[in-house]
Amino acid sequence: MTTATSERTSIEHGTIGPCHVGPDSLIDIKRQQTNPSRWKGESWSAFAAALCDFGIELRESVAARGTFATDAGGTAYGLPHGVVIARSAVQVSLLLKAAQQHRVPVTVRGGGLTTEGESVAFGGVLLDMTGMSRVLHIDTEALTVRTEAGIFWHSLAEELRRVNMDYLSAPLNLTSSVGGTLGVGGIDVNSPRLGCSADQALALQVVTPTGDIVECSDTHNAELFQRVILGYGQFGVITEATLKIRRYTPLRMHYFYYDSLRTAIEDMQLLNRNDASDYSGILTIMDCAVNLLVAFDSDEREAAFKANWQPKLRGHGEFGFALRMALRYALRPWKLGEAWFLFKRKRDIFPEFRRSEYLRDGLMHDRTVVFSRAVWKFWGSKQMVIPDLATSADKFVEAVERGNQVCRKYFPHYTLYLVGIKLRPEHKPHYEMSCIPSDAEGWAYGCEFEPMIDGHVYSRDHLQSFKNAIYDIGVELGGSYYRFGGMMKGYIRRVFGDEVVDRHLAMKRRADPAMILNREVIF
Amino acid sequence: MFGFIKNAFTSRRDHADCSGCSLCLLVCPVWRQSRDISLTPHGRAKAMQHGDAVDAASVESCTLCMACEPVCPEKIDQVGMILDLRRLQAPTSARDELQAHMTGLASRPVASRPAASTTLLPDSALRAHPDTLARVTILLGDKNISVADDDGSDISQALEVGADIPAQCLEQFLTPLRLHKKIIVADGLLLRHLKLWLPKARIASLGEALSGHAEVRRSLRTTDLYVIEPRAYHSDYQRLVKHYDRLRVNHGCAFNLDLQRIAIPATARNLSQRLGLAAHDDEAHARWVLHGRSITRIVVESLEDRAAFEKVSDIPVVHLAELADGISDV
Repeated sequence: MTTATSERTSIEHGTIGPCHVGPDSLIDIKRQQTNPSRWKGESWSAFAAALCDFGIELRESVAARGTFATDAGGTAYGLPHGVVIARSAVQVSLLLKAAQQHRVPVTVRGGGLTTEGESVAFGGVLLDMTGMSRVLHIDTEALTVRTEAGIFWHSLAEELRRVNMDYLSAPLNLTSSVGGTLGVGGIDVNSPRLGCSADQALALQVVTPTGDIVECSDTHNAELFQRVILGYGQFGVITEATLKIRRYTPLRMHYFYYDSLRTAIEDMQLLNRNDASDYSGILTIMDCAVNLLVAFDSDEREAAFKANWQPKLRGHGEFGFALRMALRYALRPWKLGEAWFLFKRKRDIFPEFRRSEYLRDGLMHDRTVVFSRAVWKFWGSKQMVIPDLATSADKFVEAVERGNQVCRKYFPHYTLYLVGIKLRPEHKPHYEMSCIPSDAEGWAYGCEFEPMIDGHVYSRDHLQSFKNAIYDIGVELGGSYYRFGGMMKGYIRRVFGDEVVDRHLAMKRRADPAMILNREVIF
Repeated sequence: MFGFIKNAFTSRRDHADCSGCSLCLLVCPVWRQSRDISLTPHGRAKAMQHGDAVDAASVESCTLCMACEPVCPEKIDQVGMILDLRRLQAPTSARDELQAHMTGLASRPVASRPAASTTLLPDSALRAHPDTLARVTILLGDKNISVADDDGSDISQALEVGADIPAQCLEQFLTPLRLHKKIIVADGLLLRHLKLWLPKARIASLGEALSGHAEVRRSLRTTDLYVIEPRAYHSDYQRLVKHYDRLRVNHGCAFNLDLQRIAIPATARNLSQRLGLAAHDDEAHARWVLHGRSITRIVVESLEDRAAFEKVSDIPVVHLAELADGISDV
């Protein structure tokens, strides 16, 4: 015990030491991940003076720093010593060079939609990338866009739509930033066909942790490209990105309703395996009220689905499902409270997806606006806890069913969001030590478990125990997670194993000698 | 029905309720120009949450386009918040002068039983164009409408700069309005407050009233860009988003709406620019409204917008009231 303690204390700050916890010893034991310790600010004055010499505006007021005190999760809190709004790659380069020299932690933030404090600065400087939000060039022939990486996907969409273009896939959240998303993955309801958002990047301009400005792609500085994509901000700051785009199309939407998670998942996987839809995903109201969303970009694809695949689906239409639910609760009058909850959720949520200004001739326009507004309206709050599991296709049903049981234990109401991710064999190097499970072939599947906080107050222990219980399932099944960084980084060695983690740590040390860039996210 | 687009009129929520979602940034013209979060509702709310004073530059920078209010999922009274901050700021000479003017008003014109059932409160830009004002009144039904002598422009300006409005002064302004069945308002900021002060009154924006006229609607073309006046639109968003969507469906014209169906302002002026203390930079906003569009005519609800478009484009710009062919020039 003494030896273990001494080993732990000798580990250099900003690294992950060996895991002393047996792989099965934490099951069912309550434990809490905590905010990292705050950087003490030893060399802050010299760093601030260096920025001043470079003409970089550094904001140190309480108001400026407090704006970034937490992230979308609202469970990690920390204040930077100062804030810099990113304005150019050269400015970011100068800042990183000064940070290396003075060993000042740099936390990079885009939309701030992390949930485990990954974009919260516990001292040091916070680099607000949203200052770099210009669209630089749209090529409607080559179907590409070059943009500064701090831009919100929605702002990019606004510019692309003026020339009748659209991005390929992005998180269903208006304030996700391009750079932040490329660093972690990004899931859309077309990911079962197009892959994650990070798969859409063709080339990047990256400022390395030592301040070099480097252009990279799968064919040029490929190693850097592979590490930065899905790299959780460890190997550089993405300042520009070239992304694939496409012509804009509205969606032909279909909804199928299930009273079984397993059946809905099996049907979704059937559609994905057979390329039967352009979009698919599952959203639950309860585990007995499961909605499989299926959508299409063209009449032809929709017609083929109707002819070949719709008859094979076991879900119901809205009216048929309502009848089924009515019968269910007529036979279980003691569950009328549950029926009332379902009715209220349907009454509130369904109109949101059918607003006339977004529906024209039966087609849904601007799906991200529709979905994102609904997300913030029905699931947004000052505190969001969204543990997730990512597994191969064959383990997915078990992962979701076990995760669902955990949710039932901890919360009266919760939502599950399930989606597939088409894997690109040529991108395998991108996927290492990421949310993509190493054993997934063809598709990876992800499930978010989102309790509805709804003004309730839960202790941090309660929320943490819930997250641990979900993540323990992932360890047992050999899966991965979307949100393994920040306060959940205790899982990294257990999930990825020492060999992979140590190899990435060595790369990180070479790339970032002072270990200053996004230091509390992974390493 | 759609909680997130309900204005904060019913239950006032303030900076403490901000969850930091940043949705307000996406529609903020100041954000579009500056990419500086401290100049946005998000930045101001977070500053206050941390007990810090909001920077005066941030308070002044807001253009009061009101776009942030309908998109706020927490239903925060964004406009009320910025007006409160302006009231709390150190007095300015412009505010002092306005305050003195309002306090010094012995009385407003005495209200008499109106002959017309509808009253029109034009804004200063419309008053400065008597021909357009005359066309507006004809379109809205000459005999049934009266142009108010007191259009509340001083009250609107007091709201904008954060000056106190003496209760007596406000009451004298509102009293004659209560005698009308319908009030049509050109000034979007005034319209928002009239809805609060006179909750039972039928109040419509000038844009809504004119675009409801059959002759005006018939004159709209599919190659028109119809520019909605943002303040009035956002102050009654839940209802007007449907109104303009019907107009789009029936007439096929494009609108200055973003993907969230929020109106993009062609003129976005901060407080100093509104007061004429600084040069405005409408061109950038007007250019963004026009960016990438294939149109042959710009139809505006606000005369301020007409001037902005005429500076940056050769495309003909007409006021909504000029669309109706049946009205000869007056």
